[in-house]
Amino acid sequence: MSVIETSLEPSGQPAREAPKGFVDVRNMGVTFGSGDNRVVAVEDVSLHVQPGEFVSLIGPSGCGKSTLLSIVAGFVTPTRGEALLDGKPINKPGSDRGVVFQQYSLFPWLSVRKNVEFGLKMAGVGLSKRNVTARSLLDLAGLLSFENHYPDQLSGGMKQRIGIIRALATSPQVLLMDEPFGALDTQTRVVMQEILTNIWQQFRISVLFITHDIEESIFLSDRIYVMTARPGRIKAEIKVPLPRPRTPEMTDTPEFLNLVQELKGLIREESLAAMAPEIKDRGLAGFGMKVGPKGVGELY
Amino acid sequence: MGNMARTKVAAIPIPGIGPELIVKTVKAPPPDAPAAEAFAAGAAEPSEPAALDPALPEPERVPTVTLRDIARFFVKRITRERIIALALACVSLGTLFLVWYLGTKYRFEFYIRFKNVPTPAEVYRQAAQIGLSNKFLVNIAYSVRRILTGFLIAIAIGVPMGLLIGKYQRVRELLMPTVEILRPIPAIAWVPMSIMLWPNNEAAIVFITFIGAFFPILLNTIHGVHSLDGVLIRAGRCLGANEAQLFWNVILPGSLPHIFTGLAVGMGVAWVSLIAAEMISGQFGVGYLTWEAYSLVDYPTIMLGMITIGVLGLACSGIIRMVGVLMMPWLAFAPGGKR
Repeated sequence: MSVIETSLEPSGQPAREAPKGFVDVRNMGVTFGSGDNRVVAVEDVSLHVQPGEFVSLIGPSGCGKSTLLSIVAGFVTPTRGEALLDGKPINKPGSDRGVVFQQYSLFPWLSVRKNVEFGLKMAGVGLSKRNVTARSLLDLAGLLSFENHYPDQLSGGMKQRIGIIRALATSPQVLLMDEPFGALDTQTRVVMQEILTNIWQQFRISVLFITHDIEESIFLSDRIYVMTARPGRIKAEIKVPLPRPRTPEMTDTPEFLNLVQELKGLIREESLAAMAPEIKDRGLAGFGMKVGPKGVGELY
Repeated sequence: MGNMARTKVAAIPIPGIGPELIVKTVKAPPPDAPAAEAFAAGAAEPSEPAALDPALPEPERVPTVTLRDIARFFVKRITRERIIALALACVSLGTLFLVWYLGTKYRFEFYIRFKNVPTPAEVYRQAAQIGLSNKFLVNIAYSVRRILTGFLIAIAIGVPMGLLIGKYQRVRELLMPTVEILRPIPAIAWVPMSIMLWPNNEAAIVFITFIGAFFPILLNTIHGVHSLDGVLIRAGRCLGANEAQLFWNVILPGSLPHIFTGLAVGMGVAWVSLIAAEMISGQFGVGYLTWEAYSLVDYPTIMLGMITIGVLGLACSGIIRMVGVLMMPWLAFAPGGKR
């Protein structure tokens, strides 16, 4: 468990020989069911996350982005292709990948501190040591004074902050986040994004972040993958040239707004396609016109 | 704790994420409660000289619990809500008693016959006479021992089995057919078979008590596992928990609220089964006492036996509820309110 010691010095760059946390997804395909019920969720997706890089995966709902994350987390086995972490194939969940879920996933029967300690306890770390680790992480998230509360006593934003530091406690190589702020209101969401950039800035851990929020993906990421509607494919890969550290003021700069426009265009096409597959062939010009028995005209 | 929460500043200085996002904070008592109140509370306990002993050195801030604290604890719990609840409880029990009293006093007879029902005074006399007798207490001790033995065995088998059936489809497919065919058989129907099956009466009665408690515990445990949010299991897995750790640290505590529902139901059914078994095949026990009184035309003892069963059953479910509250303190904050 030496990893824990090094990573808990967030600012003093730990002396690692080779940076870890390289996620490599190769020619991934996922098919659910068989016969007439066969659904191709993801088709031939390749993507990667460099060590220490923040990468977002954005796409219309149902495009298989959560499936992709589940594969990297080790919950789902792909039908084709493979996912690698630092060159080793991923085949089951493990504490080298921290996962933050969209739903609040804190254990309601454990106090906040015990929740953060959970991964360390599973790894056999002694009581006093995991206590120290949990408390320093709680301090980092500004929640040390809530260490003895139960999750049900906290707000959604606080729960998700604890979810993040709980995932970080075992010093994973990569953090996988599945629309972690999706259930929060807009104000809390914006604040949470800043907190996340802060934490990420200190840990410099690889992050694969799933969202359908365009501004969120730009504000947080170094790079963004845009996925197509089902079956999910990578439609575009966009670099975010904004400097670090990111500040809320940046969301008003022309660079930011241009990126928003660009991404909106890409996503819009796919969202429409996801709702009415006919549009895909006819193009956006068909929008608003009666296309068929279940066509666009009836959708709007 | 609550005080700390209000003064602690978030380590990451971003406005708007401070403690104002708290949904609920535990309200700590004010650090220095008015001395008068403390004194009044302390004075209410005249049997406690230590708390007011002037010979003791200046009390340092040592976290000891004095009787004064305990008294204050209880005084604080006297709320309007509780007084109303207590009053209604008195009305409820009082009505029951009144029906009994008036019915027996005027020998009410209209379809229901109070002719042979003993009056409260008769029952009281009987209780005073045999209430502390050896025979009566031995009967109670027998029943309590049988309940505890049968119930604990039912927990020891029902909970682990329920967790396994809930978790593993193959175990479920293997065991559930047997469970489903045995479950509809009431514990009382087991009495003849049980007497044949077990070497002595005692074991047979404990077995019947066990049967009564077992199925509610088993089924509620299974239900508890099934209603556990899948994301918690996934969270446990990716935090590095292996199968055994997952069982012990996620599945068991996550199912605990439902398990306790099963215990409460199981305890009720266990009493029903025990009393029936004692009436049919017993020597000793409260059920036996009640049935024997009927054979001997000793009507006050019938009533005494019934009241004893009621009180024992109430005590048992009270204990289960108390253990539940102690073991699951987080439920006080769970959405959906208090249990």
